[in-house]
Amino acid sequence: MNSTPTNDNPFAGDSSGIQQRETAARWGLRVGSYIVVLITVAIMLHIFVKGAPVVFRSQWPFVNTQFLTELPATLHVIEDQQGNHIETDVNGADAVKKKLGDHFRAEKTISYSGGGILGPIVGTALLVIVSVGVALFLGVACAIYLSEYAKHGKFLEMVRLAILNLAGVPSVVFGLFGLGAFVLTAPRFVGVPAERSVFAIPLGFTTISFEGWDTCVLSGGFTLAFVILPVIITASEQCLQAVPQGFRETSMALGATRWQTIRYSVLPFATPGILTSSILGIARAAGETAPIMFTAALAFKDKLPWQKDLPPLPADASIFAHWEQSVSRFLGIFTESVQALPYHIYTLAAKIPQNEYAERAQYGSVFVFLVLVASLAASSVLLRKRLRAKYRW
Amino acid sequence: MNSPPPPSRPPLRSVLLRSRKHTILGVDPQKLIKYFFGSNASVAIIVLVLIMVFLLREGIDFLPTYQRELQTYRRAGLEFCDIIDQPLQRNQALSSSLRQAVSASLETLSKPARDRRDAAFLLKRQVEDKTARPRDSLTQALEKTPPAPEQIEVMRHELKAASASAVAALSYPDFFSAAEREQLQREFAALTPEVTDLPPLLQALVAEFSTKDREARTKFAPLVQAQEEFEDATEPLQEVVDELKAKALETKEKAVEFEVLETNRVRLLEAAATEKDATEKASLTKEARESVSESVNLEERIKEITGRTAELREQVEKYAVVIEKAAAVLPQDAGTGAARTLVNEVREGIPAHAREMRAAAATLEGWRWDKPVSIFSVIGAFFFGTQWITNSSWQDFFGFVPLLTGSLVIAAIAILIATPVSVVAAIYTNQFASEREKEMIKPIIEFIQAIPSVVLGFIGISLVGNLIKDVSEWSWLQWVPGFPIQERLNMFNAGCLLAFMAVPTMFSLSEDALNNVPRAYIDASDALGATKLQTVFRVIVPAGISGILSAILLGLGRVVGETMVVLLVAGNRIAIPDFSAGPGVIFHPAHTLTGIIAQELGEVSRGSSHWQALFMVGIVLFAISLLVNWCARAVARRFEPHKA
Repeated sequence: MNSTPTNDNPFAGDSSGIQQRETAARWGLRVGSYIVVLITVAIMLHIFVKGAPVVFRSQWPFVNTQFLTELPATLHVIEDQQGNHIETDVNGADAVKKKLGDHFRAEKTISYSGGGILGPIVGTALLVIVSVGVALFLGVACAIYLSEYAKHGKFLEMVRLAILNLAGVPSVVFGLFGLGAFVLTAPRFVGVPAERSVFAIPLGFTTISFEGWDTCVLSGGFTLAFVILPVIITASEQCLQAVPQGFRETSMALGATRWQTIRYSVLPFATPGILTSSILGIARAAGETAPIMFTAALAFKDKLPWQKDLPPLPADASIFAHWEQSVSRFLGIFTESVQALPYHIYTLAAKIPQNEYAERAQYGSVFVFLVLVASLAASSVLLRKRLRAKYRW
Repeated sequence: MNSPPPPSRPPLRSVLLRSRKHTILGVDPQKLIKYFFGSNASVAIIVLVLIMVFLLREGIDFLPTYQRELQTYRRAGLEFCDIIDQPLQRNQALSSSLRQAVSASLETLSKPARDRRDAAFLLKRQVEDKTARPRDSLTQALEKTPPAPEQIEVMRHELKAASASAVAALSYPDFFSAAEREQLQREFAALTPEVTDLPPLLQALVAEFSTKDREARTKFAPLVQAQEEFEDATEPLQEVVDELKAKALETKEKAVEFEVLETNRVRLLEAAATEKDATEKASLTKEARESVSESVNLEERIKEITGRTAELREQVEKYAVVIEKAAAVLPQDAGTGAARTLVNEVREGIPAHAREMRAAAATLEGWRWDKPVSIFSVIGAFFFGTQWITNSSWQDFFGFVPLLTGSLVIAAIAILIATPVSVVAAIYTNQFASEREKEMIKPIIEFIQAIPSVVLGFIGISLVGNLIKDVSEWSWLQWVPGFPIQERLNMFNAGCLLAFMAVPTMFSLSEDALNNVPRAYIDASDALGATKLQTVFRVIVPAGISGILSAILLGLGRVVGETMVVLLVAGNRIAIPDFSAGPGVIFHPAHTLTGIIAQELGEVSRGSSHWQALFMVGIVLFAISLLVNWCARAVARRFEPHKA
């Protein structure tokens, strides 16, 4: 208490041990946080450096169009007498071998590594469309209830608890659930119920049979929908809550019903936010592998979902028959199993021996996948920022 | 709030009309809309319940199925054989130690000679690899009929040139003298496809090694002999056990076949009972009658096995005596220190092994083939079983412990790495960072969440695995337990990647917790003259500790439930990690709860015991995730100091 300050200036920083310790601790914390940042950046750079050369070209059109527009195929590498390596596909291999004749030395085949990744990209897109469609419908409705209708009570508590727990369920358990529920049990219309049907309801002209949808886009999409449901609900509820209470009160004061209030005074202001936040859900749905492993994904498929062989129509088929066939072709997209990017990467990484050709396919797919997912996530963040600046109440 | 305030009064007529118009089936449409949204809200609950229902539907039959399988395992006598066979496995570990000791001892004398021989052969192969193309063409040309001498001559020249350049590029190890190098060079350059004999110097090297080896074997004769004796000791016993095993297996296969036919018959009869068409019915019944097979007389067959108990015990006793004798004559000295340790280990291990064998033989008498397998022992066999063996020709075991330990060790590694990093980052960004730093750090860490897990798994295979392996070979890091590591894909690798995945969750939640600390606490601390550091570590962090703890728990939930990273990176070896290796155990491969489902479910048929076992694992995972969530909530509530 009675110690006199040695320094004349009471505001000057003291150079005692305390000050040094403060600085040291601050630097320690700073280094700790920058380590995470550096590791993230390093991983991104690594993928970029290894993956970009696969996807981009130094000449026009600067992009490896083959990689982005062809289906995956088995890569054949043929070595000739001079030690040159010729890369080709199944059909090309025979031609090259014939041409080389005596000069042919060795042939290597590398599964899944040739061609491109159009199949997986299309499959992932389909899965995302189905899952986000379902999850948005359910999630937004749930959020509207939670934010606009619900009163404190048992039910609300239970719903919130369920959402929290749903968010914590491991993705592979969702996969098991999807397998049990959608692949093996979900109801469908059939003429004759299959043997495994849990139970069937005859309707006269057809039968609702609980026999499952098999592994297909629908099963996978629904499974993914429940994986991202908690994300969508939470994000949508935040957006609804962000609309000022005054809007609702004003609307009510003008005599609008509750639904009218929601429809005209709340949703219009919350929708942009809901949509941008749900982009994060898209990124999550696109990135999950375990839920689609048993419900939708195939390791290899040589056709796009809509290239299905249907019996050719007779020449004099009516317009109605044509129409029916296009509809069934369209619906067929969703009842086919597909390739998906994350599963394709898993197959490339785990199921085939590693070599330079496989590595090229791996880094190329990972690069494309990461660019897709990252741009989705980034656009969500940026849009949210702009929205926040626009609606400032 | 809930009932809208009455609108300004419209004409009476329209009020009356409207009230009718807006009723659907006697229910207020507003109510209907509300119910619609309410029912959507309950989707979360329904899904949670459905997950439980479907997991249970596929998985709950596991216990009875497994019980039946274990029953067959016992009744057919497989269990009887395993009583002796399981401890006998220890013999292999001991004899492999002994073999290692022997080879280490022999190497003290023969290693230089062997190295010289191996190096020479390696060099020869290098030359051959480099000249492969001209050699191949020459071989083809020589085989051609009629031969084209000029062409062959040209090719010979080519081969010679290629050999010369390949030989010139060789680098010789130090232990070849200058003269030897020259001779090797000459010999390699003269290699042609026609000559299959080894060049003279190589032959000399081979001879040199075999002399040295013989010398070493005479020097360490007692050790070599003891090792051979030990290995031979198991033979008569193994023979008896194998015979019994074959018999038991045959019984089991017959029993299983009978069971399949029996269920098939029952199903046919059921179908026949419900069938209305007479001819169909007749054919079904006929088919059912045909599928009757003779049942297996288990009692008769098991007697053939248990009847040999005395013989088996005698063999075990003989075996124990022999190995104890071998242990007694094991020489004290071995070639190297490591070999001596191994020999000592074996010497100490053998009496224990013999005791174990005798104890196992003693339990044979008490074994009863018809003792029923209780459901509790089945539950125990699942939750505490130490073996997960599938697609085995002997017997499938679904023991949960190897998977659980793998999952837990990996999760522990991940949490130990992720907790300090993410808490430090949260404290720094929340309390110390400038606005600009915050705007850089936060999005980058949150971006990690968007990286799909399969991509991180791929990074683990292609980048982190090699990195860890290379680092573990640095000479100045050899004090770290477990270095240098054997496997690129191991628990530590998976733990690192999972830690990276868990960081954003833990970071964001911890930061929220720090943000929620009331301003007044900080002001009070400042007013008392605390420095920034004191405020942070004595006021803010303790006040936010509940949030930080629950963040760690939620991170743990994320880590335990993560699938793709562990599937790709953990190494997938289904065995309990060898904890006797000390902390170095983290560099061993393992399998996990999530990984096993993802890996095996695609390959099993629906309704088999394996399928049901995988769903049981799913049930356990689901329970773990609920438990972790519950704990996180409880912690968050328990330590909340500033909420009424």
